Amino acid sequence: MAYSDQLQLPSYLDHPPEIAARIEELRTQPLVMSVEGLTREFEGASTPVLALSDVSFEIRRREFISVIGPSGCGKSTLVRILAGLDYPTSGVARLDGKPVTGPGADRGMVFQGYTLFPWLTVKKNVMFGLKMKGVASSRAERTALEWLDLVGLADFAEHYPAQLSGGMKQRVAIARALANEPRILLMDEPFGALDAQTRASMQAHLLRIWERVDVTVLFITHDLDEAVYLSDRIVVLGARPGRILEIIDVPVNRPRVSDQFLSAHFLATKKRLEELINHPETFEKQGSGKITAAA
Amino acid sequence: MIEPASEAARAATPHAIRRPGPGLWAVRQPLNQRARLLAGTLAFAIPFLLWCAISYVPFLWHPLVLVKDAGDTSVPGTYAYLDVGQRVERDVFEARNRQLASAGKQIATGERVNPIYLQAPHEVGRALYTAFTTAPERAGDSWLHESLLQSCKVIFWGFFWSALLGVPLGILAGTFSLVSRLFEPFVDFVRYMPAPVFGALAVTIFGLADEPKIAIIFVGTFFQMVLVVANTTRSVEAPLLHAAQTLGASNRQLLWHVVIPSALPRLFRDMRILIGWAWTYLVVAELIGEKSGLSAFIYQQQRYRHFDNVYAAIIIIGFIGFVTDQVLAALGRYMFPWESGNTALSRLARGVRRVLPARLGFAGTA
Repeated sequence: MAYSDQLQLPSYLDHPPEIAARIEELRTQPLVMSVEGLTREFEGASTPVLALSDVSFEIRRREFISVIGPSGCGKSTLVRILAGLDYPTSGVARLDGKPVTGPGADRGMVFQGYTLFPWLTVKKNVMFGLKMKGVASSRAERTALEWLDLVGLADFAEHYPAQLSGGMKQRVAIARALANEPRILLMDEPFGALDAQTRASMQAHLLRIWERVDVTVLFITHDLDEAVYLSDRIVVLGARPGRILEIIDVPVNRPRVSDQFLSAHFLATKKRLEELINHPETFEKQGSGKITAAA
Repeated sequence: MIEPASEAARAATPHAIRRPGPGLWAVRQPLNQRARLLAGTLAFAIPFLLWCAISYVPFLWHPLVLVKDAGDTSVPGTYAYLDVGQRVERDVFEARNRQLASAGKQIATGERVNPIYLQAPHEVGRALYTAFTTAPERAGDSWLHESLLQSCKVIFWGFFWSALLGVPLGILAGTFSLVSRLFEPFVDFVRYMPAPVFGALAVTIFGLADEPKIAIIFVGTFFQMVLVVANTTRSVEAPLLHAAQTLGASNRQLLWHVVIPSALPRLFRDMRILIGWAWTYLVVAELIGEKSGLSAFIYQQQRYRHFDNVYAAIIIIGFIGFVTDQVLAALGRYMFPWESGNTALSRLARGVRRVLPARLGFAGTA
């Protein structure tokens, strides 16, 4: 049998008291975003391709929620719809109760590719959103420097993006999105292009920022460790069509530290994700009862 | 290195340290500084040396004979027209000498030369100076510097109007599908009409002075420019636009704060290429209506068979084009520092490094 079966892992549904308390507390937070029956069809070569099928979930204030799934499960489509860069065939995404109809400054986004403006210095990149809003230069500059300080790049304010490493670029991108004070920060596999070490330090860095800043995060990833390490909840999508398999409350204490990667609850959660993602067919046959148990 | 060089030894012989770099034939690898310089020099030196060789080495080509002494001209024959100063085929020259020899008369002498259209480097070199100092053969014709100025004026205004209208239209077409759909099909249609066919029309509409010439250059570059600019504008990466939209940029702000600054360095490069096309159309433009400018100068000099001046004028055109392009390239590096990592700071650092003696160990990091 699987190696993991030899470990005495608790059930991922078994929440220690403090975790249970935190989950309860999060559920009482006001709703920031709600995703209601999102379906997205693309024109295929012969038949339409169903990228997302009836996806619904809610995001509460100060929550860190991850969306995970195999490639082709529509997680990028989902985040693009939430950002307003794509539109659903049916269903609606609401921010503070208002339907999303297009991109806007209230939903900040960090992309997988490097999307800093190469002709602007790091500081001016962070000032971009504020300038679009019409904030006076001097105030925008002060704000930008504060955010750069928060992501540890104050010394690089006058550099151009081309002079930064991949990890630094993504930190600037995070600062740029947060400087706009969005209601929610959408992150589409932001560390996907980074090497393993940089990725690990960026994850820790992101958690530190999230702890210090009042922001809700929706984080897309295909990395199981990353999802468990960062999130309060994980939305697991299955592929073809992209649909929700399960929404998991992560039974790991905060603040998170990298030691927890080997804790029993961490591993139990990861094992569950692995089952869902790598063997969705066997899982759905054998364990469909568990989904209802989790829901 | 077999044995590690000591600091002192390294300092004493800074050139002894050879970092292994890519070879001369490495695929898509930059050349080292010395090879770059050498190859760049050779790019001009090789054609020049070939020219010298053909001009000065007598047996390399020299298909003609320049007659120095026609010999006894009283002897009749097919080639009796031989005269001093003529350039004749070698066969002709030798046949005439056989005639003269068989008649027992004094034979003709001459030296092997190239055709008049192939001038030697020193002649062209001299012409580069004398062409400016020699008065035109016919009163009322232009001096070389006047022709030159005239050409530059026509190019400038033709390109100016073309860019003034073509760049904004191209940017709009590359940004908004509506504008693209409204203009590009027609522009694409006109683009295939060669600009010179509008020559007669231009003269009829604008008269004989500079205006029709400016119009030809405009027609020749404008339509191409709209399409080139539109395509370049379309090459602005969509993720940048998406990022800006999620930062709250409106459509108008996208155009001014993302599309234009992002496309600008590429557009600048396009303009450098298009200005070369303007020179091509110049030659046609200057020959319609009243001939003017460098083309007229070349045309006249050819009629007087002053081929040294023809070459001089051609070389001057090449030189102006080359210098313009280099100046624009330098200007581009200055205006778009993010393109080359050429920020004010890195420029300063490089400048300082150049001034410092190599011994300080900065040379290796250059």
